[in-house]
Amino acid sequence: MIALAAAGISKSYGGFHALSNVQLTVEQGEIRGLIGPNGAGKSTLIDALSGRDGRHSGRVELFGRDITRLTPARRRALGLSRSFQRTSIFPSLSVRRQIELAATAVGSADTDEIIDEFGLLPFADSVAADIGYGDQRRLDLALAMTGQPKVLLLDEPAAGLSFEESKRLAQHLRAMATRRGVTVVLVEHDMDVVFSIADSITVLQLGAVLAEGAPQTVRANPAVIEAYLGSAG
Amino acid sequence: MRNIRFFAAVLALCAIGPLMATLITSPLMLSLLAQATFAAIFAVGVGFLIRQNGMVSFGHAAFYGLPGYMIGMLLPGASMPAEVVIIGAVVLTGILGFAIGLVIVRVHGIAFGMLTLAIGQGLYVAVTRVRGITGGHDGMNLRLPRELFGLPLKFLQQPQGMLIVSWLVLMLILVSIWLFSRSHWGRLTEGIRDNEERIRFLGYATLLPRALVFAASTVVAAIGGVMFVIYNTFISPDAVHWTASGSALIMAILGGAGSTWGPALGAFVYFLLKHAAGSYTTHWLSIIGVALILVSVAFPNGLAGLVVRWFNPARRGAAS
Amino acid sequence: MIIHFTLQTPFWLEVRMLIQVLNGLVYGALLFALASGLALMFGLRRIVNFAHGSLYMLGAYIGYSVGAHAGFWTGLAVAALALGLLGAALDVLVFRPLQDKDPLITLLVTFGLALIAEDVVQSIWGNDTLALAEPGLLIGTVQIPGTTFPVYRLAIIAFGALVACGLAAWLRLTRIGLFVRAASFNPTVAAIQGVDTDRVSALVVAVGAALAGASGVVAAPLLSLAPSMAADILVDSFIVVVVGGLGSLAGAFVVALLLGQINVLGIVFMPELTALLPFILMVGVLIWKPTGLAGNRL
Repeated sequence: MIALAAAGISKSYGGFHALSNVQLTVEQGEIRGLIGPNGAGKSTLIDALSGRDGRHSGRVELFGRDITRLTPARRRALGLSRSFQRTSIFPSLSVRRQIELAATAVGSADTDEIIDEFGLLPFADSVAADIGYGDQRRLDLALAMTGQPKVLLLDEPAAGLSFEESKRLAQHLRAMATRRGVTVVLVEHDMDVVFSIADSITVLQLGAVLAEGAPQTVRANPAVIEAYLGSAG
Repeated sequence: MRNIRFFAAVLALCAIGPLMATLITSPLMLSLLAQATFAAIFAVGVGFLIRQNGMVSFGHAAFYGLPGYMIGMLLPGASMPAEVVIIGAVVLTGILGFAIGLVIVRVHGIAFGMLTLAIGQGLYVAVTRVRGITGGHDGMNLRLPRELFGLPLKFLQQPQGMLIVSWLVLMLILVSIWLFSRSHWGRLTEGIRDNEERIRFLGYATLLPRALVFAASTVVAAIGGVMFVIYNTFISPDAVHWTASGSALIMAILGGAGSTWGPALGAFVYFLLKHAAGSYTTHWLSIIGVALILVSVAFPNGLAGLVVRWFNPARRGAAS
Repeated sequence: MIIHFTLQTPFWLEVRMLIQVLNGLVYGALLFALASGLALMFGLRRIVNFAHGSLYMLGAYIGYSVGAHAGFWTGLAVAALALGLLGAALDVLVFRPLQDKDPLITLLVTFGLALIAEDVVQSIWGNDTLALAEPGLLIGTVQIPGTTFPVYRLAIIAFGALVACGLAAWLRLTRIGLFVRAASFNPTVAAIQGVDTDRVSALVVAVGAALAGASGVVAAPLLSLAPSMAADILVDSFIVVVVGGLGSLAGAFVVALLLGQINVLGIVFMPELTALLPFILMVGVLIWKPTGLAGNRL
């Protein structure tokens, strides 16, 4: 069953093509890595898929339903959730309160579970502005993953996390996909994370899909190596 | 157990009103305190908007004075009891506030401030122009019945009587607002204030909660205005001028908009300070100007913040 | 803001309209000269200066006092100079230290300064309305087909035009003007390019304040002096800047002229609602475009 499908996604400013006819099809329970050099359009694509920026052509479907014109709030109600590359949390609310907010939005009660899973218990009652950067990053992710979303769009989740934390996150995502059938699209520069859990990988370059396939195939693709992996490894 | 302590605390606070009314003998001081209470309710409304929506209104006096004008205009010919007209005026103001809120909470920052200024001054101008109905610059006298809400009007227009009643109203409003800020809606609107985009991505629509908070803040201001006209039986354009809005804003900032009760404290300090300063100097404007600058720069949590820190040095962060 | 005038001619619609338009230009010119400083300050430092009306007022009163001894023109020059210095001080002591904080703080601080300024003026010059006579050079009226029009009012229009052209030339043709435009557009990049944004900013605020002060002196013969004059004109100048687009001089120019015409024409055709029109205009524009007509930032 196809969880997330995008077709003909194009976006340009003036003469600059941020995205050119991007197509993406992700199966339910699949972990899709989205990689590519800076400026390739990865975040722009996530913005289009999540409804943050609706100024693009093309079509986005969630479990077969056209969501192209839906607001982010509506998309969340249908099960599509996202995290942010630049930490987006609520500085003056306590950790517990904001996760509660996230849970209540979708009628869920998994606040304590989430706080535990993301190692936020020591600061659960602290105001978010007062906790460390890495903890804030985890909070950003926790907000995205509260309330059992069906499809997750994660924009560089490992950025700002330590090696241990990245590994834990990767294992957590893998478990969510396997056990609960959660679909994940993962933008990442951390190749260890991507290659350790991704079922398949899409490579973007200059707004267009350069290559797509199983991790090992993509890894060996000469065009990909030249464009990206050769330098980042 | 917690609930009992809570109610006991609220009752104790409510009792301060009658206590003041009996212990203080100077009619001047009593009248001052009564006026301060109306202003406190007004300032609490302004502060509520700042705290829950992160929005600063320069025109809230429109909602403070409007019910007074409505009562003045509708009461003489009304066939229903005065109480209904009074409550109706507050409700109508709230509905108007909600309608306006739906439109203007979409606009942020200084543009929002300017829009509120426009609304406030718009009402001021409208009220000064239609002399036939509102009395223009001369204002309007209200003809209130001998009894209101079961209390003789004489009682309500006496400093002691009004102080007891308006203090009680102020306490009720503070409790309601405090409860709201701890409710889901309170957290939600604080979240919207902090990061509206993320709230949307969590799955919430943001327009309605913000419009409701705006409406609530106008209702609170309206209640203050109603107390004001019952006591004074008079309303004039001064009550809706932007300087009235500015004063309420100063009281809220001085007292500290970050807490529920800060603006009320600010109002009392403002009135008492003004009264005290009046005997020594004519430079009240400078004093309040300096105070505003000091608070904005050095004490963003206002006087309430200082009080909280004095009693609890270890505490910090967003507290109620 | 209401300008009163007496119709001295037979009821000829064209002439009446011409007078209206001219009177509208008078107020529009004054408003632009004043609001231009506000627009520049916002463009550069993202500051909403609640004390701008106070700068206008202080200029008027200084011009009044100096003018009483040394004549109108000296008064004008001294007022502009004094306010320029005050503006520079304002930038260095208030705007610069607060620039990284929440803009609301600067707004409140300038609000506090406005209150203090009103008190200072009341203390030194009292509460009564004062009059300043127009300079000898500009007394009298001018013959326009069918009627006469005061020379001084024409001079005010010329003043506004001078300010507009002067600012435009300064910004477009001089090196410093280039720095101002660069720093308004992108302060960080301008700083990296070697523009001393602090010095540019002090200059801009000084110029804006000087213009405000000069506007005060220029307005005084027409509008009289009173401690409430700051508040009276502040609201209109904010409307000009916010509706025109925060930071945009061209936008401010258009809206100032528009407001001038609205005020005057409104008096003739819709006296009851005249004073409401600027606000209706503002509400309409801001709801449609929250950044203002020509602006692109809040």
